[in-house]
Amino acid sequence: MSANVSATICMYRLLELGDCFLVTFTAGASKSRMLIDCGSFRNTSVSAARLDQITKAIARQLAGAPLDVVVGTHQHNDHLSGFVHCEAAFRKIGIQQVWLSWLDDPADPRARTIGKAHHNLMLQLHAAHAALRASAKGSRQRPVAARSLEVLEDVLGFYGASATAPPEVPAKAVKILKAIGARKPSYLKPGQTLDLPGVPAGSVRVHVLGPPRSDTDLFRSEPKKGESYDPALTAANLLASRFLDAARQRRRPTAGEDDYPFNARYRRATDRSRSPALAALVKRYRARAADWRTIDDDWMQQAETLALYLDTFTNNSSLVLAIELVASGKVLFFAADAQTGNWSSWATVNWGQPGVTTDDLLARTVFYKVGHHASHNATLVAAFEKMGTPELVALIPVNKKDPNITKPNGWKMPARNLFKRLKEKTGNRVLQMDCVNPPECNPDAAPAKAAWKKAGITPRITDLSVEIDIA
Amino acid sequence: MNSPPYRYLRGYSLDPGFSTRLDTAGINEVVYRVPFESLEPGPIGEYVEVMDVDPATGAWYEPVDLGDERIASQHGLTPSEGNPQFHQQFVYAVAMKTIGHFERALGRKIVWYPRVLPPGRAANRPKGARWHREYVQRLRIYPHAIREANAYYDPDKTALLFGYFAAADQSQGANYPGGLVFTCLSPDVVAHEATHAILDSIHHRYMEDTNPDVAAFHEGFADIVALLQRFTFSELVEHQLAASQGRIDGYTVLGELATQFGEALAGNRGALRSMIGKWNDQGIWEPLKPSPSDYIDNVEPHARGAVLVATIFDAFQRIYKFRTSDLLRIASHGTGVLPEGSISPDLVHRLAGEASEIAEHLLHVCIRALDYSPPNDITFGSYLRALITADLDIAPEDENGYRVALIEAFRARGIFPRGLNTLSIESLCWNRPDFTKQQQLALTYLAGELKPFITPLVETNDRQELYQRSMRAQAELNRLLRGKQTLFPGDDWEQFLNDLGLTSLPVSRLFGKDSSKVRFLRDHPADDGYAPPIECHTIRPAFRTGREDRQMEQVVVTLTQRVVADIGEPGQPKRMVFRGGCSMVFTLGNLNAVEYVILKNIKSYERFQRQAAYMNGDDPDGAAPSASLYARDDRDARLHFNLLHHYES
Repeated sequence: MSANVSATICMYRLLELGDCFLVTFTAGASKSRMLIDCGSFRNTSVSAARLDQITKAIARQLAGAPLDVVVGTHQHNDHLSGFVHCEAAFRKIGIQQVWLSWLDDPADPRARTIGKAHHNLMLQLHAAHAALRASAKGSRQRPVAARSLEVLEDVLGFYGASATAPPEVPAKAVKILKAIGARKPSYLKPGQTLDLPGVPAGSVRVHVLGPPRSDTDLFRSEPKKGESYDPALTAANLLASRFLDAARQRRRPTAGEDDYPFNARYRRATDRSRSPALAALVKRYRARAADWRTIDDDWMQQAETLALYLDTFTNNSSLVLAIELVASGKVLFFAADAQTGNWSSWATVNWGQPGVTTDDLLARTVFYKVGHHASHNATLVAAFEKMGTPELVALIPVNKKDPNITKPNGWKMPARNLFKRLKEKTGNRVLQMDCVNPPECNPDAAPAKAAWKKAGITPRITDLSVEIDIA
Repeated sequence: MNSPPYRYLRGYSLDPGFSTRLDTAGINEVVYRVPFESLEPGPIGEYVEVMDVDPATGAWYEPVDLGDERIASQHGLTPSEGNPQFHQQFVYAVAMKTIGHFERALGRKIVWYPRVLPPGRAANRPKGARWHREYVQRLRIYPHAIREANAYYDPDKTALLFGYFAAADQSQGANYPGGLVFTCLSPDVVAHEATHAILDSIHHRYMEDTNPDVAAFHEGFADIVALLQRFTFSELVEHQLAASQGRIDGYTVLGELATQFGEALAGNRGALRSMIGKWNDQGIWEPLKPSPSDYIDNVEPHARGAVLVATIFDAFQRIYKFRTSDLLRIASHGTGVLPEGSISPDLVHRLAGEASEIAEHLLHVCIRALDYSPPNDITFGSYLRALITADLDIAPEDENGYRVALIEAFRARGIFPRGLNTLSIESLCWNRPDFTKQQQLALTYLAGELKPFITPLVETNDRQELYQRSMRAQAELNRLLRGKQTLFPGDDWEQFLNDLGLTSLPVSRLFGKDSSKVRFLRDHPADDGYAPPIECHTIRPAFRTGREDRQMEQVVVTLTQRVVADIGEPGQPKRMVFRGGCSMVFTLGNLNAVEYVILKNIKSYERFQRQAAYMNGDDPDGAAPSASLYARDDRDARLHFNLLHHYES
């Protein structure tokens, strides 16, 4: 019989989108501390100052003990930037062991190929963004161009990129994480089950569900698309490179474009090279009365498709962990930012340990770290509905004051219907990181107060964190 | 000299990749026959204007001049992927071919949906006018608009945008990695996109995403037209029959062609592929068995649209089998079983001829059914009823079993019209309205007043004239309906309107006792007690010839009303437009005889609730509304074709 283990889950309160969770496991006299992600969406001085406060709080919490495990789930700024901005603080705290996903494993050839293509896509989009921005300057009357720039900016923001900074913060963070642990980092694959260090062996088991090993799943953002994503990264890179060429040649001719898509002799770029018939056609196109039918910027909409590819891929590369408290059978579920592809791959995970099944882990879940700040397609209905314990609670690392949420047509987080279902399934035991909870989720008032009591949990909310105990 | 009736243009019958495969090279080039018209370089004709500008590349390409004798005498330019002028010729040919099918089936001219300007945007707009409409003569076609594996109809520009991209793999067998794929060279893609534009010109309200069938219908219908159009090329069927060496039961041959169609539109269209059949490990094609849960199980627009395509295709096969059984018996000395080995070229020719004739008939039935469909909120069930009614009207005998085949195919996939318990021809056919004497009098009065406006519609062949005269006729009907409350005592007038799916009641009483549960919003500068105005959006005369050489002269009129309500949650308003009304089919000679009324009742609270739940994304079975990670999980009111498409390589 393994020792009874309790867990304290502490969600640190970032001032924008971001994930930072400290989970402390207590088994009698022994403790194990696991940090899952530490990042904030932007890299401003305000963001960095907040991360600084949080790392100090972590240090206080640890009271001199090192972190037993640090988990870096995926290469997005809002999950990893803290390891760059507060590297020194983490070195001081001390980290025994780092866990990353197999996609970060330098010894895995597939991971290297994918990583390279992924990085390349990111760089191409960053370059395309710069080229488009330069050429679209001063043209306020171009909604399509403006929208394309905006989506590129949004997505590249996840990599810490800005007009002046390359998209490199998350990659830098991973580099730091790979070197910072006292022991060598572990690269986890779905189907693995690990013993949590720091507590008696067999008392806390960590089951790895994602990221999937199949390319198909890595690219799925929606439940429908089952086929033909296999070469998606290659295709996306091909498309992106042509997109980049097009964006660049707004300003100057680009090599490689001469015979694309047709032999250069067909091209009529200047007035002089045009026949009267073509001149008449151009006039018809440029006529003021017909300006509503022009397509000058429509090709830029592709930015959105490409950005979606990139973002989906990175989110699906999330390391997803189900942490099992063996004696009580309770499971803590950390979904990082996994999208549909990652979620739906869990059903076919080949578990190395006898007796472990995905459905059983879901059924025993008492705590759910809501995926991707509760966006609409990062909690797969079929899987979430399997989370069946009556004491289920959920924490959402969302700050609704994030400029990406408050802007016109901003990001819909938390998504309305998902939030509704979360409240139903947890009996209103849902807390947001910004603590601007709807009245029915106020843990100090009816109806949520009674529901928390029923689960035997009293949430502790301070300026810096939201904390709950799973006994 | 008179103009010739037709123009002949060479083009592909399958995607160009098939031209470089030995087994299909011979038949991939066919000659398209389109109605002759004089053309400007572009080509620019009466209906379409091809503009070959590629803004991403920063290039224009010289427009093809199909009137040039060096080109005209050769049946157009030689099919070539590397020559942009051939691309222009090809999109023109396929678009005109598609338009031609619609005009013949509908018995009238296609007029594009007008440009609509909101209040304040139109120059010189008349005082007091809230919305301004502008005639749009030509659909614009941009063969090289974007650098994406995508092609779409953009209703805001009345334009088709085609993309091109580098193929990343060999999944389609014929592409080479890094090779260019032009979506404008796929006859299936061009016909599909042109159909979106034509469907929008006929039923503009089908752009409103009010139930899970609407987007699926737009997609499915566009595929049906493209697929059946493919079968009207008898060369293709002939080739396939000859190659199949005796396996000539319709299921194999036609199914293989249809499955190829699904593959040509790869990516999202995988749904279509998997709905019809597949090749097994031995390379033998096997049909997929339909299941009564196909309709219920498939909610995502492409998958559900594929169910509709598979259904119509199934009906096509059934009719083909029925029609060719005698030929097979003759060829097999009465056994119906052909000997092994190649079959007689004469038989192949006859079978292929049957297939293409059926394809054309069925295509026209499918198109004609649009006039018997409700003005908004289409469902597959109501489309089935429209199909049956339209066909019953044009071919009362049904000698070749079209209707039975359609009903069986719909039944096999579990598509049932709401509120119908049996699928018989009698129950499926839309009701002929049973007007009281007084109502009949009102109709006679309306028809009499309207007649002077309808006659000029019949008398012109000029599309712009037609458009303007239709607008005048619609305005007149609007005026009549607005003023007519004095014709009847109040209750009788309300009853009359109810029979047309409309109402004279203010919104506060629209849903009876349920009205108070709805937060109606002011639609116009009016108080909360406003009664929604009745709008007439189409008056269309049609002259059709059916399979049995039956001539029909009809007028199709749609009348609608709209109310606006807030269906959001407190603090998070969400505006929803709810429409009701009817499509009416009159006999032209006898305008006061209403043949059919196809209803969407404005007073249906149940339908209102259903739409609200769908718009809010509350329906548990609905597909994810958006691929974006940052979108809402409720729905936008409008379909977005540029997001629906994406032909992935």
